[in-house]
This record gives sequence, C-alpha cells and structure tokens, in this order.
Amino acid sequence: MRPTSGLRCADYKAPGGKLLRVRLTVTEHVTPPLITSLRLTGDFFMHPEEAILDLEERLVGAPLEARTLQERLQAFLETGVEMIGASVEDIVHLLLSAEEADTL
Amino acid sequence: MPQTWRLLQHGARNAYDNMAIDEAILRCVTGRMVPPTLRFYRWQPSAVSIGYFQGLEQEIDREACTTHGVDVIRRLTGGGAVYHDYEGEITYSLAIPDDYPGLPRKILDSYDALCRGLVIGLRALGMPAEFKPINDITVNGRKISGNAQTRRSHGILQHGTLLCDVDPHLMFTLLRVPNEKIRDKLIAGVEERVTSIRREMGSVDRERVTQALIDGFAEALDITLVPGELIDHEIALAQTLKEEQYATNEWIAMR
Repeated sequence: MRPTSGLRCADYKAPGGKLLRVRLTVTEHVTPPLITSLRLTGDFFMHPEEAILDLEERLVGAPLEARTLQERLQAFLETGVEMIGASVEDIVHLLLSAEEADTL
Repeated sequence: MPQTWRLLQHGARNAYDNMAIDEAILRCVTGRMVPPTLRFYRWQPSAVSIGYFQGLEQEIDREACTTHGVDVIRRLTGGGAVYHDYEGEITYSLAIPDDYPGLPRKILDSYDALCRGLVIGLRALGMPAEFKPINDITVNGRKISGNAQTRRSHGILQHGTLLCDVDPHLMFTLLRVPNEKIRDKLIAGVEERVTSIRREMGSVDRERVTQALIDGFAEALDITLVPGELIDHEIALAQTLKEEQYATNEWIAMR
C-alpha cells in the first residue's frame, strides 16, 4: 500500500439544492478516521455567511461517522444559522463520500 | 399608500466598485439614512463574480480571465459563479430593512416576493417568466435570471442578473469545468438550460427591458420609484469597502 496524504475530496449536488464541495484531511490510523482540517465550498447559501467558519471549526476533530457529524451540524444550526440549498443530511452525505485525493 | 423608494440607474463601473456600492447602500438603508433602494448597473470591464462560499481556484480560470481582460470578484452573497458581460446582461440590486412591510419572513418566500418585479417585467415584454425556487427565474423552463441575498444589520440585500446575450464558449473558458472531456457537453447544455433576452425577443433593447423591470418592481412591491443619487456617505463608504475588502486578494481568494 502506498502512503496517503490523508486528503479527501467530494462533490455532491443536493437533490433540489446546491452543489456542495469538500476537501478534508483525516488521521488515517484510527477507525473511523478523525477530521483534522476541512474546507466546505459551493453555491449554497448560509445566513449569516461568516458562520461557515464556525461550522468548519465544529467539524474538526469529529470522527468521520454519520451520527457524530449529524449531531455537530444540528448543534451548529441551533445557534440560529440558516442554510439554504444544503441540509444536515446533505453535508453528512458529502463528508462520508469524500474519497482519497492524490494531490493537494 | 405606496412606499417611496430611491431608484439608481447607474452606468458601468468595475466589479470592485459595484460590489462595494451594493454593500454601502445596504448599510445606509439599514441605518435609515436613505430609503429602500433599487439600483441597475453594468460591469466594465466584464467580470466574473463568485459566491461567498465558492472556492476561487475551484470555480475560476484566473489566467483565462486575465487573458480576456475580465475582472474576478467575490460577492458578499452566496450562490454560484456568474459571468457579467458588459453587453450580455443587466444587473440589479435592491436593499431594504428586514422588517419591510408585507415581506415574507421566510428567506425562500422572500426570494419569490422580491423576484416578482422581474417576473412581471419580463411578462410585460411577452415572455412567460416564472420564479423557480430556490433563486432563479425561468422562461419556458430555461434560466434567464439568477438572484442572491445576504442579510445583515437588520437589512436585506438582493442582487441578481438578467441575461441579455449568452456566449457559452467564453463562459466556459473563464469558468472551470470538472474535466476537459465534458467541456463541449457543458457548452451544448447551455442552449438547453439557459436563455436570454436576445433568444426570446430576437434583439436586445436595454433601455426598454430596464424600464419594464422598473415598472415590474413598482407593481410587484406597490412602490413609487423616485430617481436619485448616492449620498456622500455611501460614496465614501463604498470607497473604503472597495479598498479594504472587495479589491483585496485576501477577500477574493478567501476560500
């Protein structure tokens, strides 16, 4: 097996929603891997916009596993942020579908 | 009694001035220094704008933009990348307080309400325009207008574009495509998914179209639009916002 960079990428078009893209790095030595950094991009909407940094921060350190991701995203929305064109389920799906990428 | 709004019919400015002016207007509207405002404007040089959350390198071929003399800017609003051709589109923005009478509280519904002006204007020109959630307007199922909102300091800024003429080749030269193999397919797909004033009307009379939109907004929102100018504070604020934010690489390449 070749060594990996730990970088994973995914694009996901939410049904009836917008295109979500993620690049994330994970620790490879535990199962499920832990998110060490993450950048969420796309043509969705979020109000207030600056909250995207809070969302990304909340996901760092999380295991790449549906229930925890869901809980963290739910807690994020409960701060009063509104997302349009992307749901909690869409983002969880996006993160879990991220596949190893060769290059940065 | 109809509310009185300010109407700004701006000519062409560069991308950084345009986005800075939209935010300056929003701030002065929420500060109750100016009335709710509807603005029309153009982009010179032509520019690509990307949504607040988009990755610059993911969406834009910056080298191609430089080659074609096209500016690149990040918007304050979410949504997708848009090519704002100097000739090829009409851009509007509107700014109102978020407690504006009669405006639906839900953001999705407010898009519908605020896009009514465009829909009515296009219908008056003979096009069967319809609002298509989340934030588009279509004619015969093809997109003719995209719109985007931000909400801050108890105000709403919505800006959007109306396509007058489309050059899919140029568009997909400036915008990145997932891989080269599908470039031609995407270009061909524009015919299917997108339309323009030229395609629907056979020609583009910018003045007539803009007037139809103005009348459409007046009817949709039951407002009286009074031609006006930016106030000194807006001009100064826009200058600061341009220099400190919109024209900086930190902002443009933020993600």
